[in-house]
Amino acid sequence: MKCEVCLGSLEEYFDGELLSSEADKIASHLVSCGACSQELNSLRATEGLLTQYDREIEISPMLWQQVAGKAFQKSSGRERFNLLAPIKVFFATPTFSLATAIVLILIAVSLGALYLKSNRQRFEKEIAGSSTPSPDPKSNDHTEAQPKASVPERTSPERQQLLVAQRTRPTRKTPHSQIDRSDVLSADFGYVDLEDQDTAKHLEQTQNLLRSIRNVRVSEFDEEIDVTYDKALSRRLLNENIVLRRDAEMQAKFPTKTLLTDLEPILIDIANLPDQAKPEDVRLIKERVQKTEIVAELLSAGLR
Amino acid sequence: MKRLTVDELNLEGQPASYAGTLMNSSADLVTRACQGEQDAFRLIFDRYSRPIVSFLYDLVNDRALAEELTQETFVRAFRGLNTMRKETKLSTWLFGIAKNVARESLRSRAKMNRQVDIEDQSVLDLSDQRAEPVDHLLGKELNELIRRSLAALDEDRRLVFTLKVFHQCSYEEIATITGFSLAKLKTDLHRARAEMRRRIKPYAGVGYEV
Repeated sequence: MKCEVCLGSLEEYFDGELLSSEADKIASHLVSCGACSQELNSLRATEGLLTQYDREIEISPMLWQQVAGKAFQKSSGRERFNLLAPIKVFFATPTFSLATAIVLILIAVSLGALYLKSNRQRFEKEIAGSSTPSPDPKSNDHTEAQPKASVPERTSPERQQLLVAQRTRPTRKTPHSQIDRSDVLSADFGYVDLEDQDTAKHLEQTQNLLRSIRNVRVSEFDEEIDVTYDKALSRRLLNENIVLRRDAEMQAKFPTKTLLTDLEPILIDIANLPDQAKPEDVRLIKERVQKTEIVAELLSAGLR
Repeated sequence: MKRLTVDELNLEGQPASYAGTLMNSSADLVTRACQGEQDAFRLIFDRYSRPIVSFLYDLVNDRALAEELTQETFVRAFRGLNTMRKETKLSTWLFGIAKNVARESLRSRAKMNRQVDIEDQSVLDLSDQRAEPVDHLLGKELNELIRRSLAALDEDRRLVFTLKVFHQCSYEEIATITGFSLAKLKTDLHRARAEMRRRIKPYAGVGYEV
């Protein structure tokens, strides 16, 4: 064996990473070659010196308490995760996964149909009994039967349209109601095995926020722009973003992680705006959103 | 030498799970911790906290930060225990998390322009003229030299070198932890070794032919 070959594999030999046949060849060469064996001794000596390295690190008892404090604090989220574990295992079994999925879809569809049907009936009843609009839903049931017959003339087409409008109005407020529940949501977000859905939902909401920022009209005559809503939404999304980014990283979902990482600085900027922001500050964020084309990126992520 | 049986060991006063410490394999501990047994996770922490702190200290070169990152590593580990594959070695998995945590921290520190000045001239300017026998070198001085030399290494090389030399990980384990190819890690390890050898050479004396 030539010295070059031996030296090329010497570290692997020293680390015990060679196959036994290759290691034997090196060993027999080392017996006969002084230069190569000196090189091996030198390697041993360096590592010997390095083993004396003492970082003088003591593990403080506080460290465990801090870890336990943080880790077990979130155990309620983990319990939810554990509850889902058997379902996950069930789905992981190829034999059952398809059949189970079909059964569950059928159940979901029939439940949905039942819900829609009951909702429709209630809606029709409400339209019919609309002459005595009651703010208290409990009292609705008691008054329903009587007014239906007594004042049929009030359910004119105009009145029905008005009622339909009233009926549909609360659904438009859904985003606001989501904000109110934000604190509860974000704490449990990362632990449920529905990360992909959560991430998709999160990206959709972020996309909407950035669109609204991008479309803000900033006039030179504005002294202040009210961004209270956007700011609150951004704070919530920022919390979610951090949790989801970490989860994506843990699960090696690197494209998702990169996208979430890109979102963070923009969300931070929006979250840090004062309630009544200066037009200049809003314009800067708006330009940044336009420049980075993050909305397009979010849209394409959503399509994927 | 007489070997003690489990019954002969004095484990009185220890929490219940300590009584079986000797029989606690990493796999058992992981399973139990997944089921919510806090004592099992405590044992994992006790077993791996020191190597993890040392590893993080080698990477970030800051004692307080290393402790902080160890905390983060174990919190993430606890959260992700359910996602750990059965065939993965617990130590490899923990080192992988620690590596990610350290890299994130180094990146954010670099962004904030508060990067530790690792290109310390006192390390780089070492010459053969300063050669002294290792016997004369105080332990602290040697530690300081190794610490500085490590800090002066390129990030990837430092990572590979630390895992191999200080934590005796196999090439396969290092590849799993770092995500590097075998070729890259061999090259990085070789260069890191050469660099370290060059830096501590002046301090190697009697009994060492470096």
